Amino acid sequence: MKIRDMMFAALFTALVAVLGYMPSIPLPFGVPITLQTFGVMLAGAVLGARLGGLSLLVFILLAAVGAPVLNGGAGGLTKLLGPTGGYILSWPLAAYIIGYLAEKNWDKLNVWKLFIFNIIGGILVVYAIGIPYLVAVTEYKLVPALIGNLAFIPGDLIKAFVSAWIAIKLKKTYPIINK
Amino acid sequence: MNLSQYMVIGRYIPGNSYIHLLDARSKLIFVFLYIFLVFLTNSILGYLILLSFIIIGILISKIPISYYVKGIMPIFLIILFTIILHLTTNKAGDLVFQWKWIEIYSQGIEQAVFITLRLLILVIIASMLTLTTSPIDLTMGLERILNPLKRVNLPIHELALMMSISLRFIPTLVDEADKIMKAQKARGANFETGPIHKRVINMIAIIIPLFISAFKRADELAIAMESRGYRGGEGRTRLRVSVFTWRDLLLLLIFSVLLITILSIRGL
Repeated sequence: MKIRDMMFAALFTALVAVLGYMPSIPLPFGVPITLQTFGVMLAGAVLGARLGGLSLLVFILLAAVGAPVLNGGAGGLTKLLGPTGGYILSWPLAAYIIGYLAEKNWDKLNVWKLFIFNIIGGILVVYAIGIPYLVAVTEYKLVPALIGNLAFIPGDLIKAFVSAWIAIKLKKTYPIINK
Repeated sequence: MNLSQYMVIGRYIPGNSYIHLLDARSKLIFVFLYIFLVFLTNSILGYLILLSFIIIGILISKIPISYYVKGIMPIFLIILFTIILHLTTNKAGDLVFQWKWIEIYSQGIEQAVFITLRLLILVIIASMLTLTTSPIDLTMGLERILNPLKRVNLPIHELALMMSISLRFIPTLVDEADKIMKAQKARGANFETGPIHKRVINMIAIIIPLFISAFKRADELAIAMESRGYRGGEGRTRLRVSVFTWRDLLLLLIFSVLLITILSIRGL
């Protein structure tokens, strides 16, 4: 592994943790926007599939050994094994998929395409792992779990769009892939 | 607002109890096996045995119970919700309680107790690991446990290095974010009030400079390491080396007893 790649992935891991300390933005409907998941959507689009996924894998390992990297300075296996752990465990895969799609369309990438990729990787993949995990740990019925999840959708859609916008900006000012 | 006030510096509480002095590797392996035991157990009796074992652990760790309670608080609502859900939806067994339209059946109670115990045990054993072991020790322990995977070309040393580097840079980037927020505030940005789209736009004005500065740091770090001849984990020596002691052997013995107990209860 190239040292430069490792450093970018490591610093990105730190960035995702720092985003977790930032105040969240309340919405009139649904759950407030937390900034940490911005980092997940950005990782793939900015670092590419391999490094983005790696960066979030390191993030999960850090959370598992109890470093205060999760939203609001939480950490520990507690969170990962807890009912909402599946959402966090899905992040490396989510970043990998967004990164894969972005790399495939790298030359013609725009905000709208990336918005769609963020919805696929950052919302669908995360829910597809997070919800069954929640159901398995708490033995909820699937339907109430799905309904409870609806509260996150407005915030997640806004996030998918804004992070696509940021990723395109970052791509122009500081391109990392193909450098 | 100061971002660093949100920063809880590690949840590790230093001490010199039996649990603190165990090798990080044995603690990690024990916790993973213990979680395996939790899912192997299929009766409330089994969970009570596992729970009482953990309570003994809490007493031995000499860490105030309030820290463990803090660990439970984030999932308290979820536990409560789970109890209510099981009580109201599970209609098997005998009718135990009836008040207007609320009917509670014996199996509902049983399942609610079962799941609550499971969640409590998982949460407490996990917080016990991170309360008694520093993240650095755990990172090193993890690296040494996973060391054999290097043979199949998994970059274990590199992963551990990346973990310690990002751990090192979290406070630096928090300070950086703080500075950028203050700079944007001086230009009139408002992060706490105002319409949502304005606040989102103001957030972007923090995120982009923060990311660019982190990328520059990553570039500089890579150049610094390359010019100093960093060449990976091969043949690298360590300042602190942990070794297995009688304590770790005792832990193995305790686990075997637990495993046999749980298996024999299961057989009943």
